[in-house]
Amino acid sequence: MLFVRKNIMAFTGLFLCIFLVVHLGGNLILLLPSETAHGLYNSYSAKLGGNIFIRVVSIFLYLSILLHTVYAALITSKNNKSKGKKYLVNHTIESSSWTSQNMGLLGFSILIFILIHLSNFWWRVKLGYGEIVPLDSNGLKDVYLITTELFKNPYYVFIYVIFIIPLSMHIKHGFSSAFKTLGLYNLNYIRKVSIIGNMFSIIILIGFSVIPVAVYLRGL
Amino acid sequence: MRVTFKIWRQESNSDDGRFVEYEVDNISEEMSFLEALDSLNESLVQQGKGVIAFDHDCREGICGQCGVFINGRANGPHSNTTTCQLHMRSFKEGEVIVVEPWRAKAFPVIKDLVVDRSSFDRIIQSGGFITAKTGTAPEANSILVGKDIADSAMDMAACIGCGACVATCKNSSAALFTSAKINHLNILPQGKTESSKRVLEMTERMELEDFGHCSFTGACEIECPENISISNIAKMNFDLLKAKLFKG
Amino acid sequence: MKLDAKIPEGDLEQKWSKYQDKCKLVNTANKKKFEIIVVGSGLSGAGAAATLAELGYKVNCFCYQDTPRRAHSVAAQGGVNAAKNYQHDGDSVWRMFYDTLKGGDFRSREANVYRLAQLSAPLIDHFSQQGVPFAREYGGVLTNRSFGGVQVQRTFYARGQTGQQLLVAAYSQLSKMVASGGVTMNTREEMLDLVIVDGKARGIVTRDLVTGKIKKHSAHAVVLATGGYSRVFRLSTLAIGCNGSAIWAAHKKGAFFAGPSFTQIHPTALPQSSDTQSKLTLMSESLRNDGRIWVPLKKGDSRNPEEIPEEERDYYLERKYPSFGNLSPRDIASRAAKERIDEGHGVGPLKNAVYLDFKHAIAKQGKEKITDKYGNLFEMYLKITGIDAYKQPMKISPAAHFSMGGLWVDYELMTTVNGLYAVGEANYSDHGANRLGANSLLQASIDGYFILPNTINNYLAGELNQSIPNVDHDEFSKAEESVKNKIEKLMNINGSKTVDHFHRKLGNIMWQECAMSRSKSGLEKAIKEIRDIKKSFWEEVSVTGSDKELNPELEKGLRLADFIELAELMCVDALQREESCGAHFREEFQSSEGEAVRNDDEFSYVSAWEYNEGDFKLHKEELKFEYVKPTVRSYK
Repeated sequence: MLFVRKNIMAFTGLFLCIFLVVHLGGNLILLLPSETAHGLYNSYSAKLGGNIFIRVVSIFLYLSILLHTVYAALITSKNNKSKGKKYLVNHTIESSSWTSQNMGLLGFSILIFILIHLSNFWWRVKLGYGEIVPLDSNGLKDVYLITTELFKNPYYVFIYVIFIIPLSMHIKHGFSSAFKTLGLYNLNYIRKVSIIGNMFSIIILIGFSVIPVAVYLRGL
Repeated sequence: MRVTFKIWRQESNSDDGRFVEYEVDNISEEMSFLEALDSLNESLVQQGKGVIAFDHDCREGICGQCGVFINGRANGPHSNTTTCQLHMRSFKEGEVIVVEPWRAKAFPVIKDLVVDRSSFDRIIQSGGFITAKTGTAPEANSILVGKDIADSAMDMAACIGCGACVATCKNSSAALFTSAKINHLNILPQGKTESSKRVLEMTERMELEDFGHCSFTGACEIECPENISISNIAKMNFDLLKAKLFKG
Repeated sequence: MKLDAKIPEGDLEQKWSKYQDKCKLVNTANKKKFEIIVVGSGLSGAGAAATLAELGYKVNCFCYQDTPRRAHSVAAQGGVNAAKNYQHDGDSVWRMFYDTLKGGDFRSREANVYRLAQLSAPLIDHFSQQGVPFAREYGGVLTNRSFGGVQVQRTFYARGQTGQQLLVAAYSQLSKMVASGGVTMNTREEMLDLVIVDGKARGIVTRDLVTGKIKKHSAHAVVLATGGYSRVFRLSTLAIGCNGSAIWAAHKKGAFFAGPSFTQIHPTALPQSSDTQSKLTLMSESLRNDGRIWVPLKKGDSRNPEEIPEEERDYYLERKYPSFGNLSPRDIASRAAKERIDEGHGVGPLKNAVYLDFKHAIAKQGKEKITDKYGNLFEMYLKITGIDAYKQPMKISPAAHFSMGGLWVDYELMTTVNGLYAVGEANYSDHGANRLGANSLLQASIDGYFILPNTINNYLAGELNQSIPNVDHDEFSKAEESVKNKIEKLMNINGSKTVDHFHRKLGNIMWQECAMSRSKSGLEKAIKEIRDIKKSFWEEVSVTGSDKELNPELEKGLRLADFIELAELMCVDALQREESCGAHFREEFQSSEGEAVRNDDEFSYVSAWEYNEGDFKLHKEELKFEYVKPTVRSYK
């Protein structure tokens, strides 16, 4: 079971990383001049919803988030059962990073962020709850408009920037760990994968936090 | 020098246990940490009190019997060392030194600082050997082993079975211990024949013994007295994946 | 009682195979009817237990540690000898036999030593098969290094952790047999007495170290594999728990004790730095392959080693023993160090050490090569002393190490008690008066893996129709009672002195009078003092806590009580042997140059002592040398 659980975590984690790349790539459209970005972003959003391939992938995506969360809970519960009494003094932080010791906590904050994020967009655009999403001049749902509207609110900008930090940290440790869980053992490759993971986590951090800030600034 | 030991005392496994403070002032810097405990015990005897039980034997860092959590770290402030190789010169005058037993469900406390690590024995019994009887060996040089393979096998085989990896792991995982043994035997031509069986059975035993999952915090390789690399765990995962996929 | 070593007839080369041809066997189906107790789980104990179980016997194995993998075989660093002649340097079984016999100063049996050399090569095959990562050449073949007292390279090694690697292999094999049900492993359980029924060893009485419960175990035969007793000196290279209690209990029940005073003082341990020290850490003798030993020419020279120029250094081993130099055997090297230190040339804060210098080796071979060979030893040295030996010479000093002495055994490794065997360091067999480096792992393994599993059949075959006595048998109850009484007595003295207090006193006396150099007057004084210690120990010692729990103080007390008695026998033996041989150096018997003078006319025998209620009685096993002529042991 150890094997199955950890491998599911690794597979789903890496799949979610790929999703993040695509997600970030699409969202970079928001940084283009607003005339271009408006139409492009809405048609990009519409395509995502209409493509059968993307639909299938998105099922995997939801499943991945679900499995990653469920198995995290199972693993944490098993780990907690394995622990003895707590140490009175514990400085294991000297022998390992805070991030690696707190993946569960980081994951939990990411989950909260995902819920906020989904309620902001997916809830309205996909499920049609809440305020009706207006259509643009091409008759597509104007996702661009609701995005820019959202980031006129500085609190949301703040939330979006802050919550990217745990995501980035989670990736920093999780990316290379996933490879090790899947059996990448050559020290040379492990080092390279760690470097890639670190770079990736920085790109995610900068990329996703620049967007809300830029949109906010533009809206001023 | 003068220090205060704050030591976990527990009569037996069924007892609750508590910390007791002992001030000692006849400690010299050359003393090893265990010799300081010896000296404390000697003074306890003179006061008619029972001594603090702690595990130790060879006192040269190779038998793996000693090992306690000192000031929040396995085997004290230094990395990659055993408790017996820790000397009092590593502590400050007047310091309070908190001493706790290894904490893990798979390592129940027997008394004071002594824990039961027989779970490690059971992991080895589940496959940490080469199935060959005395008397069946071929000429040693008929099995060639490349120097690099022999050297890596030695790196892994150096494990002393002390349990520092488990003690320091936030999940109480025995992955470093188990993987070191699996890899030592799996990479050698002598041990390859039963590599799949070995990795399947030893990892299964590891889980049954109530050890947690590995989440690659890396604390284990920092505390391991024999510098065993965490890449061993990745290699174990690789062998396990291979065995699961192809050997069922 | 006449000692019969049961040496088989025939040519030296044929003795072992002739023995195997003729000894009685136990059929496979019958083996499972036999139960064998093995006390100790080091190389010889684990090797014997695993192999006996593989053969089909039911084995009950005991160790005082928390797992068999801790046994002190683990600490042997340098290597294991074997006459493979892989280096093509003229080695052979005969040469190894001769080196070992000569190394032991002709105080061991030819037949035993020859068998040791004969079985050495298959042992390397065995351990290689069991997964021991021996050092290899790039081409994949095994490599060797040289060791003290020998001119060929026949030592196989796994970095500086050979003992650990062999023990881990033995432990693995033992674990395999535990898993298959062949061996029942009893950890944290210490043997306190031997039970003899109708003249045959039939069981043991133990104390469960966790619960304090006294337990009785019966069997068809008992094997003692309990290692050496150099902790009698307190400060030694041994593990803190190593003890002589099991063999002492056997001795008191009738097993003769041979050559008790033959103790090897290892030349390359770390020097003592204070009174509270508990242990002297060994630095492998293999370091002498590349390290050069020296002291300053000037007495009391307190300059740093690097400030002392070449011409003011005395490489005394190279000077005194040019053909063996730094690789002189251990007894010679230790004595030479003692001589220099006593003369006032010692170095270090307590002036009790000599230098072991790698400067030349590093300059010649490069740091990398030296790291490859001794990296872990240099690391260990740094951890303990805080000194980087790549930059400064190591400081080393002699320390009590190996017990050549032990229970007297015949060619079959049986003691003078029927059905009681002693294997490994616990017996007196192959090393005579001095052991060569890298022969101890060898002897322990060969006894356990190869010899005992063959010879024990010869005894058990005759026991087929004998059922083992129930543990409720009178003899078991008597032994249990005496153990309980002893513990009770010890717990109730409630004196004012600690066990360690007495151990320090005993150790000092033994180190002064019964270590590297012995004299009649000193030994007589020592015997008197030891008797005084014994008396005051039983009147003034304090053992706190309860005997019904894990009580390290009680364990120490019981072990020390036996050490005190054993120490007396060691001195009695050293006093009786009026010659100098091997590790036994009597000041009265030395040449004008200070070299040992052996007396073959009067002392060419093994001294086997009978307990005789504490009034030790000597039995002599004459040593007959049919194939080699004992010569003056010269390493010049």
